[in-house]
Amino acid sequence: MKRKLPEPAVFGFLLPNFLGFCAFLLFPILLSLMMSVTNWSLKPAVELEFLGARNFVDLLGVRGTAGGVSATGWAYVAATMGLFVALIGTLWSNVAGWRGSRLGGAVLVALGGALLAGRLAAGGGQGLVLGGGILLAAGVVVLRREDSPWGAGLGTLPPVLLTAAVAALWLLHGPMWSAHEARDPRFWRFLYNTLYLMLGIPFSIAGSLLLAMLLNESLPLGRWWWRLIGAAMCLACGAVTMLLVWWVGWPNLALLGGVLWLMAALGMTFNIVSFRTLFYLPTFTSGVALMILWKALYNPETGPINAALGAGLEGLGYTAGTAREILPQWLGDVAWAKPALIFMGVWTAIGGTNMLLYLAGLSNIPPQLLDAAQVDGAGRWAKFRHVVWPQLAPTTFFISIMSTIGGLQGGFEQARVMTLGGPAGSTTTLSYYIYNKFFEDLDLGYAAAISWILFAFIFIATAINWRFGRELEVVE
Amino acid sequence: MSALSTAPPAVSPRRSPVRKPRAAAAARFVGLCVMGFVISIPFLWMVSASFKPRREVEQVRILPRQPTLRNYPVVLDLQPDPGTGRFLELRFGRWYFNSIFLAACITVLQVLTSAMAAYAFSRMHWRGRDKVFLAYLATMMVPGVVTMIPNYQIMVSLGFLNTYHGLILPAAFSAFGTFLLRQFMLSIPPSLDEAAKIDGASHWQVFWNVIMPLARPGLIALGIFTFLGAYRSFFWPLIMLVDKQLYPMQVGMLALDTTYGRQTELIMAATVMNVVPLILVFVVFQRFLVKGIQLGSVKG
Repeated sequence: MKRKLPEPAVFGFLLPNFLGFCAFLLFPILLSLMMSVTNWSLKPAVELEFLGARNFVDLLGVRGTAGGVSATGWAYVAATMGLFVALIGTLWSNVAGWRGSRLGGAVLVALGGALLAGRLAAGGGQGLVLGGGILLAAGVVVLRREDSPWGAGLGTLPPVLLTAAVAALWLLHGPMWSAHEARDPRFWRFLYNTLYLMLGIPFSIAGSLLLAMLLNESLPLGRWWWRLIGAAMCLACGAVTMLLVWWVGWPNLALLGGVLWLMAALGMTFNIVSFRTLFYLPTFTSGVALMILWKALYNPETGPINAALGAGLEGLGYTAGTAREILPQWLGDVAWAKPALIFMGVWTAIGGTNMLLYLAGLSNIPPQLLDAAQVDGAGRWAKFRHVVWPQLAPTTFFISIMSTIGGLQGGFEQARVMTLGGPAGSTTTLSYYIYNKFFEDLDLGYAAAISWILFAFIFIATAINWRFGRELEVVE
Repeated sequence: MSALSTAPPAVSPRRSPVRKPRAAAAARFVGLCVMGFVISIPFLWMVSASFKPRREVEQVRILPRQPTLRNYPVVLDLQPDPGTGRFLELRFGRWYFNSIFLAACITVLQVLTSAMAAYAFSRMHWRGRDKVFLAYLATMMVPGVVTMIPNYQIMVSLGFLNTYHGLILPAAFSAFGTFLLRQFMLSIPPSLDEAAKIDGASHWQVFWNVIMPLARPGLIALGIFTFLGAYRSFFWPLIMLVDKQLYPMQVGMLALDTTYGRQTELIMAATVMNVVPLILVFVVFQRFLVKGIQLGSVKG
């Protein structure tokens, strides 16, 4: 109560940052909210108009092909919303440990099984397999939770609701889409692309963990003269391998063999530091240059991947023409473009920041814990399962949140540099869609609306990750 | 293993009670070599393609039969393209300068403003401080895509399109940096600066002479993180710049690929000149960088 205004020095310290904060963060957020409810455009001919929620309806809504949305349409929308509520409810009931959630697990298993069976019997999209599989796996995990009693309770309700919603969607699917269409079908496709490209995340996280475990301790290579002798021997072996294989007539194999021995020599000299450096290089040098490199690698006519595969096929007796027909067009191939980008992403990220974070996490595990497990006769796997993995849970949790957030916003650079979103829009993600709407169509209002929907997804993903991740730490 | 586990516990705290079997270490070594090999193959091809003459680029053979250095001077505009007899007229050196200059400006400004604000949030007491800080935290949730579009409109209105300051100003402060440094400064014992204050030091003196030196690891971590982020930034310069002279490397590479994408050997020479300096920087400063990256990436 001494003074009403803060002392002047506070302004001095805070002002530069606070001005920037207001000008480039706070104000833009408000402006973006405003844009998203208007038809804000950079084209001078377009007159600014207040649209209310119309941008959002256009993005997420459906319309009848013969006029308005029928009762079936509304029922379908309601069932979709019910599905979402039930999914979040299921997660929540398990995290909060509501009574009856274990029985709910049985319901989930049944539902997942039914989806898979239905896919087999009646056909349907790949999504059914994925969704059914995830439900089945989640149900099994819930069923195995021994801390929760059997019997029905409030926790059984969300899975039952989920089943009802899925059944309703299944029944309504045919009549719904024969009479309606999405207002912006591209939005849904690009959302699908975004989620598909995120399938690389678990692989890259698992790979990072594996590499971190390999790198965690120095290799027992002995004193420096032993290491030098070892390195010299590796180099000598490399030279001999190269000469021999070259002499046989395989220059490429000779070179690759030489590189492999060079790795060994480096490892002998600098121990794990050399490997950590090497693994981190793709992340450190990542950017447009590496994307251009991968574009050249994937090039179906001139790139080395198809050249090598083609040579292999010719070795198996195919003619050059058939080999060329069999081989995928990679980035030019609707079926292969996304897997190709995922592979590139895993290559870039596997030894990257996630690995460094895991290394930091591993070095924070108290060695007494591992020693105690060892004394108790724990094997390699048991030590990992019961000591290392639980101790790393906060790291894993953090990495998965950051990767999810990054994945949802991601894909712009690859799309812009490597594929221009193609072929046939199959690598366009939501962020590239935003860029197109904004920078090509100059439709800032619509682009802002998409960005807010993206924000909503990120928010939900973070919230779920947060609840779920915290629970992981408690359970283990 | 059972025979080993009955061994008496080691007295020395430096060695774990049981020695690792050598076979496991050998397996780890082999695994690491193979992974390193797999990761380095694309780089190997990149280097090899950059030394190939035009007619050899499409061949599977990695080692060029007639290696040439010619692709490099062509990209650097020292020699004309042998195919067309014309200079490519890129601005390769200028792009390098732009990238480093922009990243350096952004880093210095961002670390300085963040440190000052962090001082105000961690060492000064004023009404509404925690509320303002909460606003900072809340905006960290909003992804960059959301603010990108209105920021572009703001830059258009200010007439900052196609300028250096249009690239520097929006990145000259950061909510994340403020948050990171505030957490760091809170871990510095307050007794140190209280002692300085009793001796009659002003806030500026405390900030420069006490807090900043003690916060150095945090400042370095934020600096490394900011510099790398700014060096890699692509979206913002891409939409802001028209003039080829002002392009940073990332946008320049895209322009190069768009125009000369079919000439793989030239593109790969440019890529090598992009990637190899970074590799050298990382190898030389890696101890330093790894710490910074580990610290800087832990946002939460």
